Amino acid sequence: MRQLQHLAFLFLIVSSRPAAQLWAQDVTLPLKPGSVRFAVIGDMGTGEAPQYQVAERMLEFHQKFPFNFTIMVGDNIYGGRTPADMQRKFETPYKPLMDAGVQFYGSLGNHDDTNERFYKFFNMNGQQYYSFKKGNVAFFALDSDYLDPKQLDWLEKELANAGTDWKICFFHHPLYSSAAFHGSSTELRTILEPLFLKYGVQVVFSGHDHVYERVKPQKGIYYFNEGASGELRWGNLKKTDLTAAGYDKDRSFLTIEISGDDLSFQAISRTGITVDSGSIHRPGAPQPEH
Amino acid sequence: MLLRPSPLLQAAALLLALSGVAVAQTPPLTKQPAGFDGFNERVRQYLKLRNALPNQRTTKRQAQIVDRRRTLADAIREARPAAKQGDIFTPESTQQFLTVIRDTLQGMGSAKVRKTIRQGEPVSGVHLTVNGAYPVRVPRTTVPPTLLLRLPRLPDKLAYRIVGHDFVLQDTEARLVVDLIPGALP
Repeated sequence: MRQLQHLAFLFLIVSSRPAAQLWAQDVTLPLKPGSVRFAVIGDMGTGEAPQYQVAERMLEFHQKFPFNFTIMVGDNIYGGRTPADMQRKFETPYKPLMDAGVQFYGSLGNHDDTNERFYKFFNMNGQQYYSFKKGNVAFFALDSDYLDPKQLDWLEKELANAGTDWKICFFHHPLYSSAAFHGSSTELRTILEPLFLKYGVQVVFSGHDHVYERVKPQKGIYYFNEGASGELRWGNLKKTDLTAAGYDKDRSFLTIEISGDDLSFQAISRTGITVDSGSIHRPGAPQPEH
Repeated sequence: MLLRPSPLLQAAALLLALSGVAVAQTPPLTKQPAGFDGFNERVRQYLKLRNALPNQRTTKRQAQIVDRRRTLADAIREARPAAKQGDIFTPESTQQFLTVIRDTLQGMGSAKVRKTIRQGEPVSGVHLTVNGAYPVRVPRTTVPPTLLLRLPRLPDKLAYRIVGHDFVLQDTEARLVVDLIPGALP
């Protein structure tokens, strides 16, 4: 059965590779010394073949673009959570990356259990929401299933005291999404967007909708949705005025490099095709001299 | 444990009220609605019992997390052998919760709130009982933040959950149903 799945996968790779497209090994990221490098995955914890195949592409890409950590935008583990489930849905597919020193930072989705915060591999330190810094970038992992006043108070204090040039939030529900199944989480947007604007959050990563979408800047904030690193809703992205780029034909993951005031991104499909790439200059930062 | 909202949250609450998410009959969002004092006191009592029991700890071994969850749930059941529906959501506080829940979900401008619940992939057909397990395979579901802004804050170990039409008080580390209001949601 496993061999059949593998053959089917190989056929998919061969049959779906358009000649003119960029390959994962063609790294578009600048690979600048001292940059902050990471990957973004979401809605991946199925334990099924596509999740493993995305993990394999991540490992291949890691050899060309050595990223140090991966942020997870929720639905890290679907269904059961026995020790065998955690092996199959997390530890086995990502073991080669973890062996290569890649750390994983979790945020909780609606399919996750709050006790995942105690699972050391997710680096949540027992917290449902938390922050960490890498270089000049502060990351804020939120629990968008349970945005109670306590969490919002915490977020406001953390954002106010971050002291970094870049502020990045990641959480499960997308504030802006063109996917048909869920779409934008408008109530959450009403609550979170004023805080993001007040404290200068520049980039937000989410999942939930099982597609990849890069949203056009909304009030100056860049939104990326990566909810297809294991699950997929094929053809579910109904491109709207919000959509800058998107991909819903296969699973995918996103890679990011931040150097100084520039953030570069490259989204890669399960079959190794680069489906989106580009760069962002930090809003409010001086423009580089040419 | 039960804190006052920050100025920004008060402003957010006011914004929500002005945007029509809240309705006229509900108390101002910046205040805890009257009648929750008793609920808060019963939560404090539960926490007193709960704090005497072991907590979850960070580990790489999922087996330890599962074992601790089971041990903790058993210890809570042992400490509250006669726990029944209505012990914490007494009839008086149930009425207060129902007022807030229904005003938030049915009032003018509540479409966004209901959409949040729908987007959280709500579950139905799950029968929950006090001191019973919150099934591992049942998603957490999303509790609308507008509703959370209007309800008493809970300590870290407890959370409100929406399961089908039921409103649930859950011990998150033990994944145990502490109490529930059946049929609270329209």
